[in-house]
Amino acid sequence: MAAPAASPMLLFTDIDEPGLCTLEVYERRGGYESLRKALAMTPEEVLDQLKASGLRGRGGAGFAMGTKVSFLPKGSMDKYLVCNADESEPGTFKDRELMQKTPHMLIEGIVIASYAAGANCSFIYIRGEYVEQADALDAALHEAREAGYVGEDILGSGHSLSLVVHRGAGAYICGEETGLLDSLEGKRGNPRLKPPFPANQGLYQGPTLINNVETLSTVPAIIRISGEEYAKLGVETSTGTKLVSVSGHVQRPGNYEIELGIPSREIIYGLAGGPPEGRKVKCWFPGGSSSPVLTADDLDIPYDFNSLAAAKSMLGSGAVIVVDDSTPILDVALKVAKFYRHESCGKCTPCREGTNWTVKMLERIASGEATPMDLEIMASVQEHIIGNCLCVLGDAMAMPIGSMIAKFRDEFEEHIEAARMARGLNGSAGSDAALAAQGAFDEAPETHLAHHGTGDQAPGAHEGAPGTHRGGA
Amino acid sequence: MSDTPPKAEQATPDTTALKVEGWNPGDDVIEIVRSPDPGPGRATWRTFRETARGLLTTFGRFTETPVTVEYPEEKTPVYPRFRGRHKLHRFEDSGLEKCVGCSLCAAACPADCIRVVAAENTPENRVSAGERYAAVYEINLSRCIFCGYCEVACPFDAITMGHDYELSDYDRSDLIFTKEMLLAEPLERTPLRNEGE
Amino acid sequence: MPRPESKMINFTIDGREVSAPEGAMLVDAAKHGDVEIPVFCYEPKLGQPVGACRMCLVEIEGIPKLQTGCSTPVRDGMVVYTETERVKVAQQSVVEFLLINHPLDCPVCDKGGECPLQDITFGWGGGISRFIEPKRHFVKPLELSPLIAIDRERCILCYRCVRFSQEISEDYQLVLLERGAHSYVSTFDGHPYVAPFSGNIVELCPVGALTSRPYRFRARPWDIEGAGSVCTLCPAQCNVTITVRDERALRVLARQNDEVDDGWLCDKGRFAYQSFHAEERITEPLIRDGGQLRPVTWERALEQAAGALKRAGANAAAIAGGQSTGEEGHLLARLMREGLGSPHLDSRRAGTLSLDAHRALGAPALQANVSDLEFAHAVLVLDTDPVNDASILDLRLRKGIRRRGLKLAVASPGPSSLDPSAALSIRFKPGAGAAFAAALSAALGASAELETLCGEAGVESAAVRELAELLRGPEPQQGADSELQPREVVILWGERLTAAPNAELGAGALLGIAEALDLANVEGAGMLEVPATANGRGLREAGVLPNAGPGLSQLQDAGRDSAAIAEGLAAGELSALYLLQCDPLRELADRALWERALAGASTVIAHASFLTDAINEHADVVFPAEAYPEKEGTLVHPDGRLQRLRPAIARPGSVRAGWHVIAELALRLGLDFDVLSGAMASRQLFEAVPFYSGLTLEEIGGRGVRWQEREAAAAFPAPASAPSGDGSFEEPADPGEAAGYRSVWDAPEVEHSPAFDFLFKTKELV
Repeated sequence: MAAPAASPMLLFTDIDEPGLCTLEVYERRGGYESLRKALAMTPEEVLDQLKASGLRGRGGAGFAMGTKVSFLPKGSMDKYLVCNADESEPGTFKDRELMQKTPHMLIEGIVIASYAAGANCSFIYIRGEYVEQADALDAALHEAREAGYVGEDILGSGHSLSLVVHRGAGAYICGEETGLLDSLEGKRGNPRLKPPFPANQGLYQGPTLINNVETLSTVPAIIRISGEEYAKLGVETSTGTKLVSVSGHVQRPGNYEIELGIPSREIIYGLAGGPPEGRKVKCWFPGGSSSPVLTADDLDIPYDFNSLAAAKSMLGSGAVIVVDDSTPILDVALKVAKFYRHESCGKCTPCREGTNWTVKMLERIASGEATPMDLEIMASVQEHIIGNCLCVLGDAMAMPIGSMIAKFRDEFEEHIEAARMARGLNGSAGSDAALAAQGAFDEAPETHLAHHGTGDQAPGAHEGAPGTHRGGA
Repeated sequence: MSDTPPKAEQATPDTTALKVEGWNPGDDVIEIVRSPDPGPGRATWRTFRETARGLLTTFGRFTETPVTVEYPEEKTPVYPRFRGRHKLHRFEDSGLEKCVGCSLCAAACPADCIRVVAAENTPENRVSAGERYAAVYEINLSRCIFCGYCEVACPFDAITMGHDYELSDYDRSDLIFTKEMLLAEPLERTPLRNEGE
Repeated sequence: MPRPESKMINFTIDGREVSAPEGAMLVDAAKHGDVEIPVFCYEPKLGQPVGACRMCLVEIEGIPKLQTGCSTPVRDGMVVYTETERVKVAQQSVVEFLLINHPLDCPVCDKGGECPLQDITFGWGGGISRFIEPKRHFVKPLELSPLIAIDRERCILCYRCVRFSQEISEDYQLVLLERGAHSYVSTFDGHPYVAPFSGNIVELCPVGALTSRPYRFRARPWDIEGAGSVCTLCPAQCNVTITVRDERALRVLARQNDEVDDGWLCDKGRFAYQSFHAEERITEPLIRDGGQLRPVTWERALEQAAGALKRAGANAAAIAGGQSTGEEGHLLARLMREGLGSPHLDSRRAGTLSLDAHRALGAPALQANVSDLEFAHAVLVLDTDPVNDASILDLRLRKGIRRRGLKLAVASPGPSSLDPSAALSIRFKPGAGAAFAAALSAALGASAELETLCGEAGVESAAVRELAELLRGPEPQQGADSELQPREVVILWGERLTAAPNAELGAGALLGIAEALDLANVEGAGMLEVPATANGRGLREAGVLPNAGPGLSQLQDAGRDSAAIAEGLAAGELSALYLLQCDPLRELADRALWERALAGASTVIAHASFLTDAINEHADVVFPAEAYPEKEGTLVHPDGRLQRLRPAIARPGSVRAGWHVIAELALRLGLDFDVLSGAMASRQLFEAVPFYSGLTLEEIGGRGVRWQEREAAAAFPAPASAPSGDGSFEEPADPGEAAGYRSVWDAPEVEHSPAFDFLFKTKELV
């Protein structure tokens, strides 16, 4: 396939320039010019530019950034701007490259956005595992402070901003905006109930604007070329360029900057070189591991927010994970489910128990103890999780697992049958595995109680509930 | 057996007969016997007929063995599902009591005759298999109506209705059965009735 | 601060038009339409909802996703559905999720039968589980503290206990550890959760994960009955429900009364009930016979006591302890004054305060109530430590600070548990409370004496000025809207402030502060005294004072106060002493003097529950006293609320009612009180006190009545002359003991409750 048409580069223009992380090189390449331009405008004009650009959040939810800024209440209270650099979505590694190679662009974006939002206090919440990136940011921040781009009365404009790089302790849930705020406040990183939304009551109960690294890094480019120009890139509802992190079974994995709206096939086959020789794409996650999977049939869907949503998936963080036909779908599902079980914070019931249950069911399928009926249960568990959780983490597991069961049901069933054969449980599928599991209950009261109170807590001793609360398997 | 069916048959009359006879006296006619049949033979028969019939039954059973039960030397057998005096059970292997003192039997009891006071098992003093056990378990059998709800309510099959029915005493207070009494095997086993008996 | 007002709005729930207060959460609003939305984590007492359990999902027209009813405020015209298929499926799935890791050991669980999880599973669950995998396991049961057992397998992670610890009692001990399905509640490093209010988490827990150790396996909900009463173990007088089985109190639960306790209960009130059934309790009348106390019949004990009192005549004296009811106090006063002609009678710990000062400080206009503490702009805690003197007020102040923006100032001789939350904390010299109050009064009035008084109180004058400014509040801005809210300030002061020898100085200073801050005329402002004993206010109003009759009436001639009684007994001027539920060696100041006094008394008659040192060594006649769940009568809350004690359990042994014993004694002294029942005693009290006039026990009911809010309050006597408040500060002889200071935890009820054994090993709470 032919190489794709040269897409306009906004974020990755000079990404491979050696020493771009230093202020000197960044300024030589035109850095902080946008900041000067922005500070010459009024905050309202900057906000208008952002609104005109149609820039949608690059973190996952895809909420229009200009609108988000305008949600902040006006007035003289303490407002905060938080940059979400807790890039923990499996398959996503675009922010890492941005922060490592061009940290000044992020800082410039934060200063401009804080000017537009009227925030004087800003944090970059970076995940604990990004040690090098945090170091790069710290160094860049030091340079920017020395040069007067951050601090009191920036470039004589009267706008002041304190900027702090805060390193997280490494939890997926701290990438959720309210969980991030709790963690930033020094609490356990648990999502908060919304409403109130962070724009009204966020960090320390103050109005808070939270944006992804890529979103904020795009801001200088928008100011440079103007919002209207930016809006001409991409398609109508998804303007501009997007970094995609392609990983999985492709020949050239990596970050690519694309114009939104190009066919997905061009990303996977054109840019990333497609799956290895002789293999075919089995399924692919268009926006990180939390997006519902798409199949090879969906490769011609334009890669933009609305087209992917129409295909019942989502663009998410722009992480394309490609799975070829050499991988059993069960392994993919198990990997995804285990990740989310591990990362569930435990606050709300459906996510805490649903992820745990899903993993246990998938493990049973893998070990050949399941029946096709378990697929029904698993699908219904995913349905019960979706939309009922406090934050989106539960949905993030339930959506891909649900889509896998829906799209690869035959493969799951084949796997169940094969695994049962291997265990010698062939024959009438269904009843006897359930009976075998039920058998564990029949010994219930004796074993159950014998282990109570003795301190002897052998796993499995309790699995039978005393009494009659239980229905069939 | 009622005689409705023949009546029903009469109720579907033969239309021609109706025409001819006009009115059928049918059931309305009652024959009144005003005196016994005359004659000495008939009188003798009337006198001894029932006596003879009774004697026939008597002599007819003469060859059978007696069915009287020599109670109390001998006990009447009961059916397997007879609801007699309650029993508490232990696990056969460990010897621990099945009852955990949950008091559900007391809640279910319509006569309010069960009293349970629970206590906690300790490693030194392990009575039941669970965390708690019944420190006091009393059934006031003078109040019990033997409905068996306690048996149904028990989540651990710790209490069942036994077969003992000899529950009379000289003192009401003696009819309050304690846990030890309910756990103990009865001195004499009540015989069970066999199938078809 | 303005109290929340409720405007009614209309909304539709399940097709029915219902009106509910605006801004109420849907869960609460639905109740107005008789619709129940199941909840686990929602508890309005704990503050903001967290929406963790997801049980309360409802469908709202116009919102695509299901919403949590616990966190969605109702709006006018909202259309809500709670019984659609979607909602049902969501509710069933949440129940199923909650039960997959729940051990379902209901038969052994103490919560079984009163368990929201059981009820909600029955009402909204699917009835079956499809989960066949092994459940999550924890070691169980564990001691979370010596008072609380935790069973983590049963926990549904609703966050209630953690929120209580973090946001209500603010001890910050309970946290959630680990994450996801492995989360569990614990203290951070596993140390025991010992805190003054820890027992509340047992009541908050919606499953059997947190259970009370003293109540462990004692009874099931169908074995028990609840009996409402009022705890008399400290002046806070929290409303309680006593769980009774077989005539024994097995548990004490909070009974929510927002005007008294806000639904909380301290650990002393919750766990000290075991002392009612302690082996050591006196259940028979005792007489000293050959140097030994021996059980005798009531007849003989009464004869002996009556004989001794008759002999002593006007040389008899009486002291009423804080657990006595107003009725007992009233009858005792009549016995002393009418039966024996003796005016020597006291119930205060702090020495005499002039009648005018009593009347001025008790004036209805000056009285704040408990909820004023929460809604005031500023509260000054003056010479008292709420957690030690009236525990539950501590939580009320914390609530005010956290949720209503209350500014708290603490002025005390020692560190206070409220210091971390206070806007300003000031330490003065022990025993110098009156001097400090005078200094504050001087600072508010810009008096020149400030420096001298500050020197006497041992504080910096700058700190006192700062405090005065905090109480005054910011100056009203020029040109600001004219209807500026008057500043509501509440002074919470301890009885110690009016202790001898500076009683008049302290009282005068308090009145000066009230005058300067205009407390009498501002709605929601005022003063609230924390008496040294539980029913201190009630006994005073019943006339158990050396210088005042019932209703603070003027007496012909004043008698001796408690210190003077001790001196009189020691000097042989008085001969008999009547102790109504009071142990002078433990409770009153100057133990050495009281040792001599008791030794010098020819007869000591005591109502007592336990043979404490004073009783064991000095009492000649001991009447077994009732514990509060056995009593019938009334108490007066520090804010003037009459509350009713109702018998919850039978009196053990041959214990008789206190009013009964006093009436019998009076009969033997030739005085017929005509009291045949507790209700008759109450009626006599209400008739004797002018500002209670017309009260009935029915009117008091289960929630109590503030007499200040009744018409009869106008009969409260005004002071004959304004107390001067003059006089210079005099160093108390023994500042620590000046007013018989004791922590509420230092009580025989605590010592005789096996649940509290751990305290005497570790001293963690005392």
